[in-house]
Amino acid sequence: MDTAKNAPENPFRSRGGALVWRERALFSLFRAATYCILLCGALVLGNIVFKGAGTVFSSRFPFVNTTFFTEAPETLHVFEYEGAAHRLGDRDYRAFRATETARAAAEGRPAPRFTNEQAIVYSAGGILPCIVGTLLLVAGSMTIALVLGVASAIYLSEYAKSGPVVRVIRLAILNLAGVPSIVFGLFGFGMFVIFFGWNVSLMAGWFTLAFMVLPVVITAGEESLKAVPRGFREGSLALGATKWQTIRKAVLPCALPGILTSSILGIARVAGETAPIMFTAAYVVRDKLPWQVSEISDFFFQGVMALPYHIYVVSSKIPQNEHTERVQYGSALVFLLLVALIAAASIILRARLRRAYKW
Amino acid sequence: MTLPPPRTPKIENRESKIAPPAPVRTLIEITGLDFYYSEKKALDDIHLRLPEKRVTAFIGPSGCGKSTLLRCLNRMNDLIDGTAIRRGSIKINGIDINRPDVDPIELRKRVGMVFQKSNPFPKSIYENIAYGLRIQGINTKSRLDEVVERSLRGAALWDEVKDRLHESGLGLSGGQQQRLCIARALAVGPEIILMDEPCSALDPIATAKIEELIHELKRRYTLIIVTHSMQQAARCSDFTAFFYLGRLIEHADTRTIFMSPSNPQTEAYVSGRFG
Amino acid sequence: MPATAENTIPSSATTARPAFAITRKRTRFLGLTLDECIQAFFGGNALVALIVLALIMVFLFREGAAFFGQNQRNLTVYRQAGLEYIDHIRRQETAHTALTRRLYDLRLAAFTQLTQNQRLSPADANARLAALDDFSVRFSDAVMPIRGLVSDLGEVAAAIKTRFNVNEDKTTQRAQLLAEGRAAEAAQVVIEPVDFAAELQPILDTLPLYRETNAAFAAGLETLLTAAPSLAQIEPGLDARMDEFKRQTRACIATFPEIERKLAAWDYAQPVPLTASLSAFIFGRDWLTASFWQDWYGIIPLFTGSLLVSIVALLIAVPLGVGAAIYVNQVATPREQRLIKPAIEFISAFPSVVLGFFGIAVLGELLRRFSQAGWVHWVPGFPIIERLNALTAGCLLALISIPTIFTLAEDALNNVPRALKEASCALGASRLQTIVKIITPAALSGIISAILLGFGRVIGETMIVLLCAGNRIAIPDFTSGPAALTQPVHTMTGIIAQEMGEVVRGGIHYRALFVVGIALFLLSLAINYAAQKIITRYRIAE
Repeated sequence: MDTAKNAPENPFRSRGGALVWRERALFSLFRAATYCILLCGALVLGNIVFKGAGTVFSSRFPFVNTTFFTEAPETLHVFEYEGAAHRLGDRDYRAFRATETARAAAEGRPAPRFTNEQAIVYSAGGILPCIVGTLLLVAGSMTIALVLGVASAIYLSEYAKSGPVVRVIRLAILNLAGVPSIVFGLFGFGMFVIFFGWNVSLMAGWFTLAFMVLPVVITAGEESLKAVPRGFREGSLALGATKWQTIRKAVLPCALPGILTSSILGIARVAGETAPIMFTAAYVVRDKLPWQVSEISDFFFQGVMALPYHIYVVSSKIPQNEHTERVQYGSALVFLLLVALIAAASIILRARLRRAYKW
Repeated sequence: MTLPPPRTPKIENRESKIAPPAPVRTLIEITGLDFYYSEKKALDDIHLRLPEKRVTAFIGPSGCGKSTLLRCLNRMNDLIDGTAIRRGSIKINGIDINRPDVDPIELRKRVGMVFQKSNPFPKSIYENIAYGLRIQGINTKSRLDEVVERSLRGAALWDEVKDRLHESGLGLSGGQQQRLCIARALAVGPEIILMDEPCSALDPIATAKIEELIHELKRRYTLIIVTHSMQQAARCSDFTAFFYLGRLIEHADTRTIFMSPSNPQTEAYVSGRFG
Repeated sequence: MPATAENTIPSSATTARPAFAITRKRTRFLGLTLDECIQAFFGGNALVALIVLALIMVFLFREGAAFFGQNQRNLTVYRQAGLEYIDHIRRQETAHTALTRRLYDLRLAAFTQLTQNQRLSPADANARLAALDDFSVRFSDAVMPIRGLVSDLGEVAAAIKTRFNVNEDKTTQRAQLLAEGRAAEAAQVVIEPVDFAAELQPILDTLPLYRETNAAFAAGLETLLTAAPSLAQIEPGLDARMDEFKRQTRACIATFPEIERKLAAWDYAQPVPLTASLSAFIFGRDWLTASFWQDWYGIIPLFTGSLLVSIVALLIAVPLGVGAAIYVNQVATPREQRLIKPAIEFISAFPSVVLGFFGIAVLGELLRRFSQAGWVHWVPGFPIIERLNALTAGCLLALISIPTIFTLAEDALNNVPRALKEASCALGASRLQTIVKIITPAALSGIISAILLGFGRVIGETMIVLLCAGNRIAIPDFTSGPAALTQPVHTMTGIIAQEMGEVVRGGIHYRALFVVGIALFLLSLAINYAAQKIITRYRIAE
């Protein structure tokens, strides 16, 4: 044992070279897994951004493709005429055909013949009605979900005493979070569309989506309320405030930023769901914009075009080729941007509110 | 036995107290140790020699750095991000444990540790103790059985648990759990055992048992105990080191520290005037 | 200072209030104070989650429950019109067709053997195989009499079914007219009841003929088999396959008496119980709609399809997700952690329809191209034939479920008490040993429940499978082993999304889709329940 003076040998030197080697190999494997995930995500994102950018942005002022954002989808006509290839939207195509026919008639030639003609639905024009529809759906469902969810969270965190009822409610929330989106779609269809007779409408979509985000909002709300220090409540109650006054004046303002951020992030994800609105709110195509209604009540009971559903339609119902790529990738990118925008808005909102209510 | 020259006037009185009684061999030698938690200095210029097969107690108020120093001795601080020894060295048996060719894993096999809160693994009593051997690749049943029994006997726990070795270690009482942790540390065959406030979460009876055990253990092991309780330090240690604000104030044999401390701060502390 | 205090205190005390009032009369509404009303309001809102869950159940059952009755009628007609009788015989024909296909496979193998290994020209090879060809032609022709019988009888049965259906339509029409109060018009709707016994008699009368045909068929096959050409001189292995073929054919012939017995015992009037309708759904191996012969609503092909894509997805997602969780939690530097965690959570915000589109536009083709490269042909199922299949969908589903698995698994690892890690390190365990032996086992319940919830997310995902799984309604051919993973499938979620828009409201098909929805709902509840049970039961004490 008397190694200190006699032997310079180090009793603590590393043994088990295989062990070290195995550890290093496994850790690099874990690292590879991690970066593989990030790489896959980046690849998908990159592909859509890269290919969609051509449709959405333009090199000239105002740097975005205004047609794409301000028009409704149209049928695309692809044809060759007098040796030149043409790609025209439906309206342009009719105009072109009319002028060419007129010109030919004036020159005494037979009516013009277009060769290699191809008509592809939804591949020209823009996606304005889809964007509008999606925004309406998100705004409406967000309002409903926030009201219901925050009220529910307030009860669970401020009023409820732990007991069988609360346990059942919590269980219901957890289970509701796991219900597949398509089942929500079926439920919305069965209840709102058929039983309530709302037909395929904004209202039906709102409620279906709202119920779907409910667990997210409740969980977010409870967590934010729990994060408010106890002292705030006790301080307020000690000054003689009622419970409701305490919640309204002392607790909610502090919890609100957290509630909003977490729920809006959840809602951004729900905005991306297609299945629940397929049978409850979305139309494949609708000529009128949502505000072009004769009566106010019609506004709530009209179906809308929605971006996620439009992406589903253009990616499954029309072929994949160079003519359709424009609208497919363009819609996908706009949708991604929209979701990112909602998320970003929530983060900015939080920063604002945090500044106002800081503790 | 040569120490660096004193840097501050305060070290002067330590100089005289630091040498342990003659017949005992020095096992651990700490020289000029500065330790940082990111930018915060936690240990300041520590010089200390710890004798072999004796119990040394580290005392001092909370946050004085005694646990930090203890955790330096088996490099547990490596697990915390942003910690660093900026100056000085720790030598065990003459080997600087922070040398690049020292493997902290091999070091920890020689320098066992028992924590403040007993932390048995969520496994059976048997597996808790066999764990240290299994990670060294020892899986022979007979060898494991032997070591488990020896370690449990060593920790004075054998008679209480021999009939339920395969029940969960979490089912034991607090004091038993702590002795299980001691047994677990013994199984690896260390030379030094570090104890970080081993009794702070235990009732007086369990504490008494652990203290008895400490007396037993010092015949074969070098023990270093961090403790908050001065009575405990007085009862079971041979030497005591008093720390304050990251500095070593005084180190001497326990009787001296408690009966006639040379430093007024030490006296104030041991007489309960602060801390 | 004391002077002012003395001045203010008496002034407030002199107000009209009683000395120390701590009671106050509150306004009450329905016997509740305002605060209690508010509490009741919030409490009511808290029940919303529960109510929604109940409503989902109620409305799914409201639309779906009638399915079983309708399916029972559907199956009754199947029996009464004699379709069931004919399908018994048809099974014989199907089995024979399968055998013929094996024979063709055998010929292809022999041909390849001859041209590639023995380097014969195709013409020579065909010459060598002339005996086999002759045999297979005669073998496949042997079924002709049976086939003729089936098609003759089939026409009769189909006619009966059509008549029955016309009657059904008329009945509904009359009921509708009566409901509208147009009794005169209703009276004009004449319904001729179908006399099944009489109608079926011609079919049943063919039993002796069938027996005769069948005996000839069996004898014919037997003679053919004894005269089957030997393939031993081409390749001994092929001869073994030929023997196997013979064995299977004999096994097939052995089932003939059983069929005859079934036919003899068949009774059109035997009622179809409701349980048969239920079991036809749960164990049905066909999902066949809008067929001229008979519609089947069996969930097995959809369920296996869902399961198959989920398996692919989890095979990819579990190692990646759990590996990444361990890496981020135990190995990565804090800087890396701050970077990776939000990045992976960002992936969860990808809309699934966009991923589905990516699958159609890029990934499907990419995988197929990759599978066609020569050096990966050893992978079972490669090269992939269909662009859209379980593998394509599974890859994308993996991407969807990784954030779920990662986040929850990381949480579970994070919840392992630090003391355990320190104790293990203090005993001289390396980082890897600590992770493998202490931290992962301690977090295992959390990790398993993370995987379960990831599974729930995958099996409930709609758009990706709808777009990328290939939508072929068939039970994947598991006999081909792992190659089954590259077959196109249809799923429970996909079928609802695809067919819901096209079905008649209130029809049996419509109701069947709701029943699939119920199955999905119950499945998701079960998965959630299991995940929670695991978490609470095996949680370690801290």
